[in-house]
Amino acid sequence: MQLTLEFGGGLELLCNSVKIHTVDVEPKAEEKKLTMKHLLSWVHTNLIKERPEMFLKGDTVRPGVLVLINDCDWELSGQLDTVLEDKDVVVFISTLHGG
Amino acid sequence: MMAGEGSAAKPRGGRLCTICNGRRAALKRPKTLEQICRECFYEVFEDEIHRVIVDNHLFKRGERVAIGASGGKDSTVLAYVLSELNNRHDYGLDLFLLSVDEGITGYRDDSLETVKRNEIQYGLPLKVVSYKELYGWTMDEIVKLIGLKNNCTFCGVFRRQALDRGATLLKVDKLVTGHNADDIAETVLLNILRGDIARLSRCTSITTGEDGPIPRCKPFKYTYEKEIVIYPYLNMLFTYAYFKKLDYFSTECIYSPNAYRGFAREFIKDLERIRPRAILDIIQSGEDFRISTFTKMPEQGNCERCGYISSQKWCKACVLLEGLNRGLPKMGIGRTRVLDNERDKDTRQTNGTKSIESKQCGTLDF
Amino acid sequence: MACSSGTCQSGCYKEEYSVNDENKTQKLVKANCEGSNGVSARGGVANGHGLCIKCKVNETIAATHPDVTGRGGGDSLRFCTDCFRSNLFGKFKFAVTSNGMITPSDNVLVAFSGGTSSRVALQFVHEMQFRAQKNFDASRDRSLPVFGVGVAYIDESTVLSNDSDRAIDEMNLIVSSLAPPAKHFHVVPTENIYSVDSTARRDRLSELLNAVSDTTGKEDLLVQLRMLALQKIALENGYTKLVLGTCTSRIACHVLEATVKGQGFSLAADIQYVDARWETPVVLPLRDCLTEELKMLCSLDSLKSVEAFQQPRSGINGLISSFVNILREENPSRESTIVRTAGKLTPFCFNRIPEVGNDNSHLASQRRQKKYNLKPNESLPPKSFCLVCNSPLKKPDDTNLDEFYNGKTSAQIYMVACSSCQYQILPKEPSSLEFFYSRLPQSMTALAKDNLNNQKLLRNQIQDCLLSDSDDGT
Repeated sequence: MQLTLEFGGGLELLCNSVKIHTVDVEPKAEEKKLTMKHLLSWVHTNLIKERPEMFLKGDTVRPGVLVLINDCDWELSGQLDTVLEDKDVVVFISTLHGG
Repeated sequence: MMAGEGSAAKPRGGRLCTICNGRRAALKRPKTLEQICRECFYEVFEDEIHRVIVDNHLFKRGERVAIGASGGKDSTVLAYVLSELNNRHDYGLDLFLLSVDEGITGYRDDSLETVKRNEIQYGLPLKVVSYKELYGWTMDEIVKLIGLKNNCTFCGVFRRQALDRGATLLKVDKLVTGHNADDIAETVLLNILRGDIARLSRCTSITTGEDGPIPRCKPFKYTYEKEIVIYPYLNMLFTYAYFKKLDYFSTECIYSPNAYRGFAREFIKDLERIRPRAILDIIQSGEDFRISTFTKMPEQGNCERCGYISSQKWCKACVLLEGLNRGLPKMGIGRTRVLDNERDKDTRQTNGTKSIESKQCGTLDF
Repeated sequence: MACSSGTCQSGCYKEEYSVNDENKTQKLVKANCEGSNGVSARGGVANGHGLCIKCKVNETIAATHPDVTGRGGGDSLRFCTDCFRSNLFGKFKFAVTSNGMITPSDNVLVAFSGGTSSRVALQFVHEMQFRAQKNFDASRDRSLPVFGVGVAYIDESTVLSNDSDRAIDEMNLIVSSLAPPAKHFHVVPTENIYSVDSTARRDRLSELLNAVSDTTGKEDLLVQLRMLALQKIALENGYTKLVLGTCTSRIACHVLEATVKGQGFSLAADIQYVDARWETPVVLPLRDCLTEELKMLCSLDSLKSVEAFQQPRSGINGLISSFVNILREENPSRESTIVRTAGKLTPFCFNRIPEVGNDNSHLASQRRQKKYNLKPNESLPPKSFCLVCNSPLKKPDDTNLDEFYNGKTSAQIYMVACSSCQYQILPKEPSSLEFFYSRLPQSMTALAKDNLNNQKLLRNQIQDCLLSDSDDGT
C-alpha cells in the first residue's frame, strides 16, 4: 500500500536529507494488516541511512520523537498498534533540535 | 477552513475532543493528558501563554520588546504567537526580531534566511548583529584558529553579549527568548549535576537580569516542547504547502554536531514518556528549593574596556577577544574557578562522545 | 571521595586524622582532595610504582586485588587496603562524631536490609561499639557507659510475596557473628505497623498497597511503611537512634527523585546526617561514602551481604537509577557533586539531634560537635507534614479555603498531603480515597489529625489576613 512518510525536526538528516518519501509498504506475509510497529522496522531497514539510534530506541521511536498519523498524534491511535491504510500520511518529528 | 493535503487520508481513532466534544481529537496534551482537537489546541496553547504573560506581568503597555530569533522551532513559534497575542489582546507592544550571526557558513546563514522570512510573514522588523561587526571575528575564523576545542565557550560568551548589544541598539525594554519547559527542566537538572547553586537558584525565574541593562523573560517557561513542535504542524492558519516555507530551521550546528545527544535531555524525554508532568514538577522543585539569600553575589561593575556589565575588570568577552587578537586563544578559558572547570569538562566531552547536556551553545546560560 | 572537587566541604575528616597523626597526613589528605577530580591519569604518573597515595608504602588495591578492579571503584583503587579501610571508617566516624549521632548513653538500632550499604553500617557500628567496650573494660572508673546496639530487618515477604526464611537465617548468622557485645536481632514484618491481629494486618496492608495504582507511588509508599515499622521497633524496645546505611550514591538518587517529583521544598529535609522528624531520630553515618566504596570494602573484607531480596527499582525511581549509573560511568565524582549541590539547600530545624535534658554525656558530645550546622532564622519549624511521606509542607495556598471549610473528608485528606503524594499515591476518587485513608496505620493518621488542626489554625490566620488587607495586589 502507498504511504507518505515525512521526516522533520532534523530527522531528515538520517535519510539523505530527504524530507518526504512516497513509499510502498506491504504487511508482513503472515499478517493481514500493516501496523506502525512493522512500519518502523521497515523505515529502519529501508530509509534510515545513519545513526538509527537517533530515531529508534528499543522497538519504538526514541523518546522526543513525535509521530503524527494523518495529522493526529499517534498516542491517540494506539502508537505501535495503529493499523495503517492506503494513502496514509505519517510524520516523524524530532523535538531534540535546538531552539 | 481547509485542512490541507496533510489530512487527505482518513483519520484514525474516532475519539472526540474532550474540550469541545464535537471535533476529532488530534493530540494528547502532555500537561493534562487531555485529548483535544487542533482548534481547541491552538486556543488553549495560545491562551495559556497569554495567562503566563498576564499573571507574571511580563510586559507593560508601550514597551519595545525584542524576540531572540534563531530561526529554530522555539523562537519561530514564539515570534508568531507573540505577535498574534499582541494584536488579539492589544498588549500595545512594539515587537522586533533580533538575530545573532555567528558567522558559521552553512549553518547560520541558512537559518537567518528562515528569520528573514519570518520578518516578512509576521511584519516584525529584524535586526541582525554579527560577531564579525561586534568582535571582528566570525566563528569560522575563530574555529580556524583554535580548532574544535572550547569553540562553544567562545560562542556562548559572545552570543550572550551580542543579544544584549543588539537589544541596546534596538532600544528595547525587554528581550524574550524561546526557552521552553523542557529546556528549563533540563537546566535545573544540569545545575544540580554541576553543583552550581547560584544558577540553580535563578534558572527557574521567568524574568532574569532585572538589575542588568536589559531584562530577559521566557514566556514559554511552562510550555512543553512537544506542543511547540506540534503547533506549526497542526496550525490551520497555514495550509500544508504554505507551511513548508515557514518550516523552522533544524540543522545542527556544524561545530557542535552532537550537541543534542545529551544525557540530561534524553533523561527528560524518558521521564516525559512515563510521567509527562515530571517536566513541570522539576520546574516546581526548582522554584521551591530553599536556597538562602546570597551573601556571595559578585559585585557588578562595568568592563573597563567595553562598558558591558562585569564583575571583573574586563568582561569575559573582552578577555577572550584579547586572547584571540594576541594569538593566545587559551586566555580566559576555564581554570579560573572550579565551576568553570566542571562546565569546561562537560563541554569538552561533546566532540564525538555523549555529554550530559544537550545545548551547550550558550542557550542554557541565562 | 567525599571531597570530590574544589571546595571540599566535608573537611576531609581532618578531625579523625588529627587525632591519630600529625600534619603530614593532613597534607596528604588535602592533596588527595585537590587531585581527586578526574585525575586518575595524573595520579598514575605521580604514583607509577603502584604505591598507596596515602601511606606511600604499601601497594595499591589495584595492584594487590586485581579481581576487584574490574568493577570500577575509581579513586579507592589508589589506596592500599589498610588506608582504604581506615579512610572509609574515618568518613563514618567523622559523620558520627561531628553530628552527635551516637553518644555513650544511646541505644542504637541499625536497619539491616541485607545489602552492602547497611552491611557496612552494621560493621562500622559494631567496630565502634567494640572499641568503646574495650575502653570501658580498660578504664578504671568505668564512668562512660557503652552504647547498645540492636539490629532490625523489615520482612516484606507479604508485600513482595516471596520467601524470606533463608535470607533471615543468613542475616541471623551475620548478626550473631558480630559479638561481643551481643546484639539483639529484630525481624519484623511490614504489617506490624498495624495494631490489629495478624491476619487482619496482612489484609489491611495488601488493601492499602492495592489502592495505589502508580508503580512509583507504590514503591515510595512501601519505603515509608518500612520506616514506620522501624520506628515502631525502636519505640517498643527503647532504642534512641535509628541508623540507616544510606550512602552518597543513594542520596544522589534521592535528590533527583525528589526533584523530578516536585518535592524541591522538602528535599533538604531528607538528605542531612540527622533527621529528627521521627520519634526516634534517624541518622545517616554513611552519607559521605559511595556505593562503590562500600561494595569494595565488602569484597575486600569478605563481609557477607544477602542480596536475594534487593528489588530493582521501578517507574520513575528505576529511570533515575539508570540515569545515575550513566552519570557515574561518565564521571565517578558526579554523585558527590549532586549531593554537595543539594547539601547547599537550607535544612530544617529537625535536621539535628534534638536537645534533651541536661545529662553529662550529652554535653560532652555537644562539645565535640561542630558548630556550623544551622542558623536559627533559616530553620523555622514547618507548620505541618505530609500525611503520607512526612515531608514538611509548604504554606497552604488559600485557593481551596471554601472546600476546606465545607469539610469533605476527602478534601481534608488531600490538604494534608504534599502535591507529590496527591499525584502518585492518593486515589483520586473520593470514596477510594477514604478507603485508602481507613487502611493507613494509626501512627500515620494520628499525625494527620494534628496536622489538620495546625492547618485549620493557619488557615484561620490567613483568612484573617485576607479580610484585613484585601487589596494588596500580590
